[in-house]
Amino acid sequence: MAETTLSSNIQAYQKKTAANTLTRLLRYSAVRLVTLFVTVVVGVYLTILIANMGGYVDEILRGEIRERISVSISQNPAYRDYTVEQRNQLIQAEIAQEEERLGLNQPFLIRSLSFLRNALTLNFGRALNMTSDSGSRQVSLILLERLPSTLVLFGTSNLLLFFISVFLALALSRHYGSWADKIIVALSPTSAAPPWFYGIFLILIFAAWLRVLPFGGMVSAPPPTNRLEYALDLLVHMILPASALFLSSIFLSIYNWRTFFLIYSSEDYVEMAKAKGLTARDIERRYILRPTLPTIVTSFALLLIGLWTGAIITETIFNWPGLGRTLYRAIGLYDTPVIVASTIIFAYLLAITVFVLDFIYALLDPRVKVGGAQ
Amino acid sequence: MSQVNLAPTFSTQQDARPVLLSVQELRVWFELRRFGFGHAGYVHAVDGVSFDLAEGETIAIVGESGCGKSSLMKAILGLNKPTAGRILFEGQDINQFDAAKKRWYHSRVGYVQQDPFGALPPFMPVRRILEEPLIISGVKDKDERMERIRKGMEEVKLSPVEDFMEKYPHMLSGGQQQRVVIARAMIMEPKLLVADEPVSMLDASVRVEILKLLRALQERHNLSVIYITHDLSTVSYFSERIFVMYAGQLIEKAPVRGLIDRPAHPYTQALLTGTSEPDARNALTYKEIPPGEPPSLVKPPSGCRFHPRCTRIIKGECDVNEPLEFTIEDRHSVSCWLYKG
Repeated sequence: MAETTLSSNIQAYQKKTAANTLTRLLRYSAVRLVTLFVTVVVGVYLTILIANMGGYVDEILRGEIRERISVSISQNPAYRDYTVEQRNQLIQAEIAQEEERLGLNQPFLIRSLSFLRNALTLNFGRALNMTSDSGSRQVSLILLERLPSTLVLFGTSNLLLFFISVFLALALSRHYGSWADKIIVALSPTSAAPPWFYGIFLILIFAAWLRVLPFGGMVSAPPPTNRLEYALDLLVHMILPASALFLSSIFLSIYNWRTFFLIYSSEDYVEMAKAKGLTARDIERRYILRPTLPTIVTSFALLLIGLWTGAIITETIFNWPGLGRTLYRAIGLYDTPVIVASTIIFAYLLAITVFVLDFIYALLDPRVKVGGAQ
Repeated sequence: MSQVNLAPTFSTQQDARPVLLSVQELRVWFELRRFGFGHAGYVHAVDGVSFDLAEGETIAIVGESGCGKSSLMKAILGLNKPTAGRILFEGQDINQFDAAKKRWYHSRVGYVQQDPFGALPPFMPVRRILEEPLIISGVKDKDERMERIRKGMEEVKLSPVEDFMEKYPHMLSGGQQQRVVIARAMIMEPKLLVADEPVSMLDASVRVEILKLLRALQERHNLSVIYITHDLSTVSYFSERIFVMYAGQLIEKAPVRGLIDRPAHPYTQALLTGTSEPDARNALTYKEIPPGEPPSLVKPPSGCRFHPRCTRIIKGECDVNEPLEFTIEDRHSVSCWLYKG
């Protein structure tokens, strides 16, 4: 009798804790999503303010419209017989019409809020000056068109960089103090120079001097029609930019990971594992990689979403038709819709990644409990 | 030093038990490099250590931090390669083992570390921690593994077993963590247990329990134990002999009572007066702690390594010649020129 009440008590308790876990998770997720959304809103609004130079871009646009319309009307033979007054009236009317079409008749503060609403709802609208290769002014088309070329270049070089540096670092941490280790440590300051710096030298050496690789671009002109040849051509064009990206961070990256692994390989339980007679490979897999997994996953996730922005200057140097160069052109042309769209996508990607990572940590590390502090 | 009530009374006579572990003229030196390149000498962490450990015998190695205790222990565990000398386990040199033999040796030697929380991987539940040594040594049958884990946990009084099986180390108290560490060391039913300050990180209230547990395990399994500590007050709980280590050498070897009642080496005498029994009467007594600091292990002093700090130095002898080992009574030997004859 007493036992049955006890077991039913335990069952009730277990049910209660399960329900508690669910409400805890839901509450945590809700709070987290709201805070992340606020962060995104603030970030995007700041971007809108900066990309519009606090409203000054509107002035520039007004000036451009005024100039374009005055010139076109004063040079239009159809209006040659008009008096100055009439022509001015016509110009004013057209300017007002054009400004209304672009929404420039409203104050910037109100415009910025409607920009924000459009941006948050992923309604990117039309670019001011830029067009996609097919001639469209749709911002989403302009960006999507550039995505594959950025992914191909940065995906390849960053994934290579990531896996090569993690595995070399693991090997180095095993041979701490060896010659290879010392060389890598000594070379790590070379990563202070950005990839485009290496890019310039690589272009000088391999394109200008040795003439074995192309200066830039993604494919030869005209592009090969055969699929295989196209792929090979793309590969040849990728060698220099990918090497520049790779060279500029490989040593620092290896150095970072190696130091990180070294910290974890001096833990008592690693020593214990050695004393138990585990092989070096098992120790690495179970006792060093396992506790460092959250950090590895984090940097890998950030690396993946970092592909979205590309590398602005490196792409420009190599004339690579990716998102980075598009952003570079958009900044030069004051094409705020393109800049804002690129930023908001990155902000959303970042927020989603951060949100998902919280749950991944809880899965990977038994000490982490999602929303446990509340 | 007042009598510790729990101190066991071991016989001090020469025993006829077979030798399990024999350390012979062991030297563990670490090379120092200048700016990571040129040779800049050696750290003489262990410098000529010899002793025999019988089956079922428990010894304590005491000494200040930095005297080479841990390097000696790691050499015995096979983690440090000896620079010279040999370590024989059941008559076989452990540094000449092939991979399979090495695995066998690792299963014969248990290891209890100082910091229980650091010694347990934070991402493994207790069951997994205890299961791993069994998997390594090739216990294929899952039921057999679980049965041995259950037995091992009961032996260290982690019961009810089910409550602890799926717990992670951070969910356990310090004493429970150390019990898991001991269970892990014992799960392969080793013949030798190396305990590196197993209680120094624990609460005073838990210390005695853990020491009692270790002693119970030692008696039940006829374990040989090497107990490494800097704390003389816990030694008498379960050691037969004490080795005093100073600057990489064993300077005095004696049965516990003989050493505590009649310390021979000036360093041991100083160490014993420095030991504080948890007794209020000791609070005001003057403790004659040896002046100075332990010597550099890179350039150890000539002659006796203790001579710069020694109050009874014999000029012209102690600072020139390295002392020989003199036997002053049964099983009590000391490396000091004061006992030359």
